[in-house]
Amino acid sequence: MIKRVIPLGAIFFFFVLVMLNGYAFGASAEENYQFYCAQCHGVKGKGDGPNATETQPVSPRDHTNTKEMKKLTDEDIINVIKSGGAATSKSTLMPPFGKTLTEKEIQELKDYLRKLCKC
Amino acid sequence: MKERGLVLWGFIFMLCMLAYSGRVDAGVAEGKKIFESKKCNDCHYTQGPAREKTIKDQLSKKGPELWYAGSKFKEGFLEKWLQDPKPIRPMKYYSLTEKNKGDHPKLSGKDAKEVAAFLMSLKSKDVKAGVIKAKKSARARIVFEKKLACYGCHLVKKGRKIVGGLTGPSLVDAGERLNPDWIYAYLVKPKVFKPVKDMPVYVGIVGDKEMKMLASYIATFKQKKKKK
Repeated sequence: MIKRVIPLGAIFFFFVLVMLNGYAFGASAEENYQFYCAQCHGVKGKGDGPNATETQPVSPRDHTNTKEMKKLTDEDIINVIKSGGAATSKSTLMPPFGKTLTEKEIQELKDYLRKLCKC
Repeated sequence: MKERGLVLWGFIFMLCMLAYSGRVDAGVAEGKKIFESKKCNDCHYTQGPAREKTIKDQLSKKGPELWYAGSKFKEGFLEKWLQDPKPIRPMKYYSLTEKNKGDHPKLSGKDAKEVAAFLMSLKSKDVKAGVIKAKKSARARIVFEKKLACYGCHLVKKGRKIVGGLTGPSLVDAGERLNPDWIYAYLVKPKVFKPVKDMPVYVGIVGDKEMKMLASYIATFKQKKKKK
């Protein structure tokens, strides 16, 4: 009986780990922000990343702008990260990260943005 | 008499084939030697599968992995590029602050030919050859420009202007550089080629038909129009 339970337990434990982890690379919110978001939003979140060139039709959002960021609910932020700008009637220049980041990572990124905007 | 002639021609043909394949193998082996002696593997690894597991792994790399170079690049591109290595990425590899200085080592014509032969021998089983052909289409253009706005991170040609973001490799001349079959494989199997990358995963967002169209469309991008 015990012989059967141990491998089953190990398999269950493995799946729980996979479920918790998803696609994640075990990165912190700051690490994810610097890797994915800072390309457009800048390393300090001011909307001045290397992709914010003058040839772009719109500028990336300044995540440190308290007044503007305050207008967004937590749900808005999560939706934009997950489904991109198009899903929220914003610019398609904001791509969807729903298949790149886990739910947990998106949630943590939202918290990180709240810290950046102090709102 | 006729049979003898046929046997003789067959023998000559086989000898030619052997000599040719021997030359190709020699080019590959010689290219590998040059690649190692010039310490190219300090920045590029050539043995798959992909090694990166974390963002830190990806950021610690100095240059792109080349273990699938033979599937990724178009025939002739590497030999030409290695002799005149103009930046493909506007920014230094995966840097957000430093521009690409364009200081990739330049090789002589002979070395470039051998190294290119070596790199082109590195194929990926995940790239099915001869499936995707370069083709423009209005729908692919909509997906590229409107739906995914690829120019957000990649430089592209818009009319006579070059527009777009700087963190991705330039797509201005992607059709001269990239094998369309690899573009498709990269889009549908991102984890195989770049398990950790700053470009979003579009599998599950863009359908397979659109991925194929997109790969075909990107493969039409050329720097200069050919004179007739």
